[in-house]
Amino acid sequence: MNDKIIELQGLTVRKAKGLLLDGISFSVFRSEFVGVIGPNGAGKTTLLNVIAGMEKFEGMLRLFGKREDWRRSRATRLCIGYVPQLFPIDPAFPILAAEAVMTGAIGRLGLFRSPGRKEKDQAMRLMEMMRVVHLAGRPLGQLSGGERQKVSLARAILQEPDILLLDEPTANLDIAVQKEVLNLICEIHKRESLTILFVTHDFNMIPAAMRRAVLLNHGKTFFDGDINAALSGKTLSGLFEYPLETFERNGRRFVSCG
Amino acid sequence: MVEHLIEALTYPPIQRAAIACVLCGASCSLLSVFVVLMKMPLIGVSMSHAAFADAVLGMLLDFNPFLSGFILCLLMAGVLGPLSDRTDMAPENLLSIMFSLLMGIAFLGMGILTRTKAGALNLMWGSLLSLSCSDIVVLTVITLVLLLFLFLFFKEIRSVLFNRRLAAASGVPARLIYYALLFLTGAVVSSNLATVGGLLIFALLMQPGATALQLTYNLKYFFLISAAAGIGACVSGLFVSYIFDLPSGASVVLMATIIFAAAYVFSPKRRLIKLKKRGVVHESASNRNI
Repeated sequence: MNDKIIELQGLTVRKAKGLLLDGISFSVFRSEFVGVIGPNGAGKTTLLNVIAGMEKFEGMLRLFGKREDWRRSRATRLCIGYVPQLFPIDPAFPILAAEAVMTGAIGRLGLFRSPGRKEKDQAMRLMEMMRVVHLAGRPLGQLSGGERQKVSLARAILQEPDILLLDEPTANLDIAVQKEVLNLICEIHKRESLTILFVTHDFNMIPAAMRRAVLLNHGKTFFDGDINAALSGKTLSGLFEYPLETFERNGRRFVSCG
Repeated sequence: MVEHLIEALTYPPIQRAAIACVLCGASCSLLSVFVVLMKMPLIGVSMSHAAFADAVLGMLLDFNPFLSGFILCLLMAGVLGPLSDRTDMAPENLLSIMFSLLMGIAFLGMGILTRTKAGALNLMWGSLLSLSCSDIVVLTVITLVLLLFLFLFFKEIRSVLFNRRLAAASGVPARLIYYALLFLTGAVVSSNLATVGGLLIFALLMQPGATALQLTYNLKYFFLISAAAGIGACVSGLFVSYIFDLPSGASVVLMATIIFAAAYVFSPKRRLIKLKKRGVVHESASNRNI
């Protein structure tokens, strides 16, 4: 548990429009479930992109104890699964749900090796776990947002990563599907002992397994600590620069405008 | 009419034109799958204008216009990939700017050129009946390289077509595949300028892929249907042009459009999506066979 798997120090991302991340520093330990929470434009997605090796940065990033720049070795990339925000897909696009899941195995198979029975069985088992196995033969572009996110989760897990980066996986889904996806994420965390970084700006949809939160604002770390302390009215009001109150019902914490 | 066509096929220039049509149709239509699925319609036009501008420069510098077009088209492909990765600009915007720049260079060169401009203009319109054996050899080699690339890297290609960023994040050599595709586009476009020309090649880089998009959800069939549509358009276009004494390039493009229109009208995918919207077919209806 005390094994630092991600270590950031003074992480900065500069773009023409300004600083997207401004000296972020924190560490994530193996099997931790960390929430990255903040308002729009806080730099949450940029942070995930940096960890996934899709964004140039300044400062220090260590993954699995090894210093990394934005160019990653294939071995490091394979250790990081990424589920992006729901992205649009043409309903006519030629890819079936099962094929989309199988793309998760392509990186680890390497060049000149085709997916075999083992990978296909793994993909089906994951689709079953995500309750989308009945959609295996359906074109991905014709699935609902929730179904596509479950396919995306199955794809990321098929990669067999050590770290799973989730970028607002429940955004734009209806409330029942949001809850179902969150439960699946908790199930994955428990079953696979994955280290998870979960980006969100919706405090009412925080997975039960999340114990720690890093709050970001204007590209800086605003708070880093226990999830309950992070979701206090005082902390959130400071983060959003707006009066917010929190209350508990049935053991769950909710946020409302003060 | 059939005897007339068979007799025509005994003449070497017509034989070379027919072979070139098959190769041109196959290579352009296989690439059109990428152009359509990666939504990069401008790449063909930009590449062909790069070849055109380079051919004009080649003529100015007393260099073989076809060879200079070929070499610099490949160079442009080599520049385009890294440039689109290093700027914040979308590849389509970058292509539009490069396209304008190349048009400017081409017309500047045409203005300066004092001698005949026929060599450069041939690259724009193509000239099927004046192809040499070496043109056919170049076309064959490039088509074979493209086929080999598709065969060896099919699973990586599927992953990149689905989502290039996700593919890269999951350890697929997405950049390598993307750059190889740009390079092959440069090679296919410049080697086909002599057959259909720089202006009309755009149609062959779009329509076969757009035709396949109407007909299948299976990526393997997608490539096959696209290739069949491209070869069908080129060969039927050549014969129509021969029978009715019409310009060959224009006939090829019109045949490609007719094939696309037929696929659009009879598209099983569109019909299924419509029926699902109306609730006539249940959501769980499988599309596996399309």
